[in-house]
Amino acid sequence: MNKLKQKDLILYSGLIILGLAAPYLFSAFKVQLTYLCVLIVLAMTWNLQGGEMGYNTFGNILFYGLGMYLTASVQVGMFFPLAEWTESGGEKTFVHTTSQYFQGIGVGLLVSAIIPAIVAGAIGYAILGLRGHYFAICTLGLGIAAGEIAGGIEIIGAGQGFTTPPFPAEIVDTEARGKFFYFLSFALLIGTFVFVKYIYGSRFKLILNAIRDNEDKAEAMGIQTMKYKITGWMCSAFFCGLAGGIMGGLIGYIDSTDVAFDGREMGVFMVLMAILGGKGTLWGPVIGATLFHFFKEGLWTLILGWQYVALGVLIVVIVIYFPEGLMGWLREKYPERFGEVIDEKDRKAQVELK
Amino acid sequence: MNKIAKLFVTFISAITLALVSFSSSFAKVEGEYIVLGSAISLTGKYSSNGVHTQNGYNMAVERINKMGGVEVQGKKYKFEIIYYDDESNPKRAAQLAERLIKQDGVHYMLGPYSSGLTKAIAPVTEKYKIPMVEANGASRSLFTKGYKYLFAVLSPANQYLEVAIDLAVEKNGGKGVKIAQAFEQDAFSQDVRLGILDAAKRTGSEIIIDDKLPKELNDMAATLAKVKATKPDVLVVSGHTKGALTAIRQISEMKVDVPMLAMTHCDAAKLSKQHGKKSEFALCASQWHKNLSYKDKFFGSGKKYAKDFQKEFGYDPPYQSAESSAALLVFKDAFERANSFDRDAVRDALVDTEMQTFYGNIKFGPGGQNVAKPMILFQVRCKGDDCENRVVAPTKWASDKFYHPIPKWSERS
Repeated sequence: MNKLKQKDLILYSGLIILGLAAPYLFSAFKVQLTYLCVLIVLAMTWNLQGGEMGYNTFGNILFYGLGMYLTASVQVGMFFPLAEWTESGGEKTFVHTTSQYFQGIGVGLLVSAIIPAIVAGAIGYAILGLRGHYFAICTLGLGIAAGEIAGGIEIIGAGQGFTTPPFPAEIVDTEARGKFFYFLSFALLIGTFVFVKYIYGSRFKLILNAIRDNEDKAEAMGIQTMKYKITGWMCSAFFCGLAGGIMGGLIGYIDSTDVAFDGREMGVFMVLMAILGGKGTLWGPVIGATLFHFFKEGLWTLILGWQYVALGVLIVVIVIYFPEGLMGWLREKYPERFGEVIDEKDRKAQVELK
Repeated sequence: MNKIAKLFVTFISAITLALVSFSSSFAKVEGEYIVLGSAISLTGKYSSNGVHTQNGYNMAVERINKMGGVEVQGKKYKFEIIYYDDESNPKRAAQLAERLIKQDGVHYMLGPYSSGLTKAIAPVTEKYKIPMVEANGASRSLFTKGYKYLFAVLSPANQYLEVAIDLAVEKNGGKGVKIAQAFEQDAFSQDVRLGILDAAKRTGSEIIIDDKLPKELNDMAATLAKVKATKPDVLVVSGHTKGALTAIRQISEMKVDVPMLAMTHCDAAKLSKQHGKKSEFALCASQWHKNLSYKDKFFGSGKKYAKDFQKEFGYDPPYQSAESSAALLVFKDAFERANSFDRDAVRDALVDTEMQTFYGNIKFGPGGQNVAKPMILFQVRCKGDDCENRVVAPTKWASDKFYHPIPKWSERS
């Protein structure tokens, strides 16, 4: 057992070192690496609902978009009148000083974590009573509705979109912005991973699994399922909000339906990545997101115009050949490597019974 | 667990290797090629206009290369463009701009299609000090951000339909009119709307319907029902190609009678071809029309350009293609005047641009917008079943008289 722990330690420290060194090793790829961190976070948090709890949600994009708008709004609103900032054709220009920029984004991220969590609690209370397809469809509506509503609110730019504060011009280094957002997202990734790993070792995860496997029985065992379902969703919302906040700053321009409440892309990708890697596992979403991102960045541009066809084929292949994801497939192929012991006698006995 | 760990480590190292092996990038100028980069909408909601833009770029690249290319320090260079598909998505566009600059080593950019995407790319090009000549981002807010490396060959969006309101007021004997308007929820159309609001205030007109249309625009029946009930003097619609097509389709289906109908993107939507007589009398804002009398040595006149374009791509060039071709001419001119590949020298040369192209005069204002070229209005007119766009304003270019008011559907054959 101790030896195993040591191996883990080596793995984690190796990954952290790689993560810290990455922006220097692959300087040109900083933005893609930042995306990767955010994608992994989204896949991992989706996995808490879709994988562990068995509630397939398309609604996590709501928290992501919310986080994006909140961070940007706070960052601007702390120092300047928000309405004048977003007014298009306004002749005034506002420039954040270096300290204003970082203070703003710091407070903004804090808000973008807390408010989505609260919203998740409130919405969860209302809709987590739905199950199966009904829940999925309902959450699908959430993201779409949020996009349309955000597109009508003048103070956050409405259909014009919201240009987030540019990185302070006083910092001359053109690489600084990329590094800043990379490390921010990497820190978020580590935070999320540690949190999810902690959950994996806790009773909370078992309760979520119990809800997935048979909610009525879980209820009958005396578990207040509603409470746990809401808590689970709030945890996801917390991290999704942060991810959104970082992305908003990185992209520099928030559009209501295409960037923030981007259910058609990010909302689908997070589900796809978790399923590709293997839902209901700790590493599955990480591997899934990484593979997906490399597939997307590597092949996307080679097949201009056909990329969505390729994506469709990928989805079909995953669903047919790897319904349990890569981790699930590996687990079936090499069960002993996952610490599962198969008693040959027992297996034979079962076969005979059939 | 340790086996998985091994697997994972192998996986990571494989990726690392792969990454390192394709980090080698292009140079800004490679051999005899000047490499330009552009993220463009080949798929998604702007795909048709994205293709118009790309065709415009390609046509100009081919023509300039064929006619001797760009001469810098006595050596001839050719243009080459690296394209990526931004999927009509600002998030993707920003990412691809980063990729073009950092990975492909592009030092000069051409703009994407639409204001929203240009808004997403501009902060990136600005950050890396990459000159970008864009031909399809007209939103006024692009030119008030103090961008130094952004140059637009087109007139800002708020100017698109202001003239139409003036025209309506004039026809109304100088009195204010009742305006009904519906705009798509995107940066460009919302800016057109602001232009109308200004014009309404200026002329004492009243806005009686002010609707927003969704981005995936397939239905505006609700707005049209209101128009039928309230009988405004002018109906203004803007929502890129889909907006123009939807408006004409539903106006003719619902037989909505309105004395004046002003729109954008009629030529990109090939309105007169697709809807024929149903689109007759629609008034459209345009950056360019082939009948204008501008000239340059590469494409000759607008008519010649239209003919060559038709031969190459099989359709009449919308203004989106023309302005995109013009962007290349601007770049060529700037490179030759700078006589250098230094980005700041090229940027300074761009600032001083003052030229005539087949598309119009080009001179950049302090915000980077083109201040030397007016917008034009044309009206769809039909002879029998053959419909055509005729320029009606400004009077200097007008080939036809503005037909007003639009006859009622019951009187149209």
